[in-house]
Amino acid sequence: MSKKNEIPEVDIVIDHEAGVIREVKPTNLRSKAGHERRVNGSIYTLLVIISIVWLAPFVFLVFQSFRSYLTENGGMVAYLLPKKWSLDNYTWLLTDEKSNFLRWYGNTLLIALFCSVIQTGMVLSVSYTLSRLRFKGRKLIMNVVLVLGMFPGFLTMITLYFLLKQLGLTQEGAIPGLILIYCASSGMGYYISKGFFDTIPKSLDESARIDGATRAQVFMKIIMPLAKPIVIYTVLMAFMAPWGDYVFASYVAFGSEPNYNVAVGLYRWVNVNDYQGYFTRFCAGGVLVAVPITALFLALQKYYVEGVTGGAVKG
Amino acid sequence: MASVTLEHVKKIYDKKVVAVHDFNLQIKDKEFVVFVGPSGCGKSTTLRMVAGLEDISEGTLKIGDRVVNDVEPKDRDIAMVFQNYALYPHISVYENMAFPLRLRKMDKEEIHRRVTQAAEILGITEYLGRKPKALSGGQRQRVAIGRAIVREPQVFLMDEPLSNLDAKLRNQMRAEIILLRKRIDTTFIYVTHDQTEAMTLGDRIVIMKDGFIQQVGTPQEVFDTPKNLFVAGFIGAPQMNFLKAKLIKNGQGYAVQVQGITVPLEEKHNAILAKKGVGEMDVVLGVRPEHTTVRFGNKENAIESTITVNEMMGSELHLHVSTAAWDSVILRLPTVDLDETTRSSLSYGNKLYFNFPGKVMHLFDPNTEESLLYNKD
Repeated sequence: MSKKNEIPEVDIVIDHEAGVIREVKPTNLRSKAGHERRVNGSIYTLLVIISIVWLAPFVFLVFQSFRSYLTENGGMVAYLLPKKWSLDNYTWLLTDEKSNFLRWYGNTLLIALFCSVIQTGMVLSVSYTLSRLRFKGRKLIMNVVLVLGMFPGFLTMITLYFLLKQLGLTQEGAIPGLILIYCASSGMGYYISKGFFDTIPKSLDESARIDGATRAQVFMKIIMPLAKPIVIYTVLMAFMAPWGDYVFASYVAFGSEPNYNVAVGLYRWVNVNDYQGYFTRFCAGGVLVAVPITALFLALQKYYVEGVTGGAVKG
Repeated sequence: MASVTLEHVKKIYDKKVVAVHDFNLQIKDKEFVVFVGPSGCGKSTTLRMVAGLEDISEGTLKIGDRVVNDVEPKDRDIAMVFQNYALYPHISVYENMAFPLRLRKMDKEEIHRRVTQAAEILGITEYLGRKPKALSGGQRQRVAIGRAIVREPQVFLMDEPLSNLDAKLRNQMRAEIILLRKRIDTTFIYVTHDQTEAMTLGDRIVIMKDGFIQQVGTPQEVFDTPKNLFVAGFIGAPQMNFLKAKLIKNGQGYAVQVQGITVPLEEKHNAILAKKGVGEMDVVLGVRPEHTTVRFGNKENAIESTITVNEMMGSELHLHVSTAAWDSVILRLPTVDLDETTRSSLSYGNKLYFNFPGKVMHLFDPNTEESLLYNKD
């Protein structure tokens, strides 16, 4: 580039006091850009550190799960990468007769599937009712639920345990017991889906009712298809809560190993059985627990952002 | 097809707010009735009570001979078109129109026949495969009407169906509704706030305000003999002029004194006033803008005024003028006979002379706001 075509590096500044326009040396300009770069640099550095802190346990877990408990140490070691990559941990989990893993995995899956069906049904019907029907005590119910929601769930732990014990739903009966606990209060989580239903124009309901639909038909044929994203969201949430639960599962199934869920079972391996021996197998179990959830999310994430009400009304 | 009867129907919200007071109306079979009034007058609430979307607080609603107060909307055999169309966005136009028929478990071929026939009437055949959001406002409203007519309902309800359309489309759809009505020939109840729609569509108009029926009558009746000041002001565009005047007894009959001019009343009006026993009093004289005459040459007996607003409507001019006695009087002047110079003289601030024809048509009591010349009750 010839010197003529170069853009002169000057900053133009209006000096209000003197009432003139001045050219300022370009150093000013450059230092401004430099300052910006430094600020951005430190922000990015911070973010990178945070993400390393956040990701490290996952990476660590995955690496450990591929370190054989037979050839290397089954417990904690001072190095990150396994010396030899192996699937021994996974094989043991899935095939060894001393491993209860598949049983626990099955228990958890069973509980989570039941919950996602029952809970979705309950949450969506409660939300639709509160969004569309007007009845005595509606406001009161909503307020009471709001206040009840302020109390952490495990405050009721002891009472719930004794109630379940009376019904024979602890230890051997832990699976139905847990399903009952998870589903019983699920209607309280209606806020998000009610908010979604509120955005679907009421005239659609009214129109369908005049067209000959019962309330139930309006719900199933008009509202449900329009509420697909929120239905999927509710299913996912209902699946995830029991899938990863430890607190309730650990005391309801206390002492009855075949009825543990996967979180409780894995924890007891490292905590009670043999911390040094079982650690890599614990990690492999953790990876397997993450698989279905990850798959579900990947498959369903596109529905989150799907706009559906377009075209219903003037627009 | 059926008649609709409302007897002492009331709507009370939350035990205190009365939205509709004592609504009595007999809608004949195959009649086209329009509820018209400003926002919040209770017209939509009344329609929604007929539809079953609102509970009836008091009174009786009959469709045909059946009392339907507690009948679900789906069992009333009515169809309704909403202002916002209320099309089901997740299914095609065809499925939208077939929806009410499928709920009735109708035969597939019959559904197909009805949907295609309705689509043909409404000119939406080529859009049957589309989703509602791929349609324009006018097309959506046609689909909504189509979904209602496939039902062949006893009563056809329309809640401000044209309000969301632009002015040109609204005129076009209005004409189409008139044609449609001839084709499907059933009972219609139509709600609007637009007096033009009310006048052009209705066999009878029900004018409402604050939950009360103000007047029920044919378009001609409510235009010619409005029952009170509200109806007189609501029906007709531009609005009727209301002028302070004096009613005096003049020998055998009555006369109205306005701005020094005395206009004797016609025989039929004299008879009405005499029958009501009206004495001399202050009155409000109602003069429609089309019943005024602008005087360009002869200024004798005419009222001097100053032009404040000139609205060019194309075929006519609406002139807002002020006089010594009145703030604003609206005059209507056809443009067809006006030459260029006259037209350009009709601008802000210029003087204009006008008078009223020697005939009094509307007189109102300033206290009760009722018409003194109305004798239908």
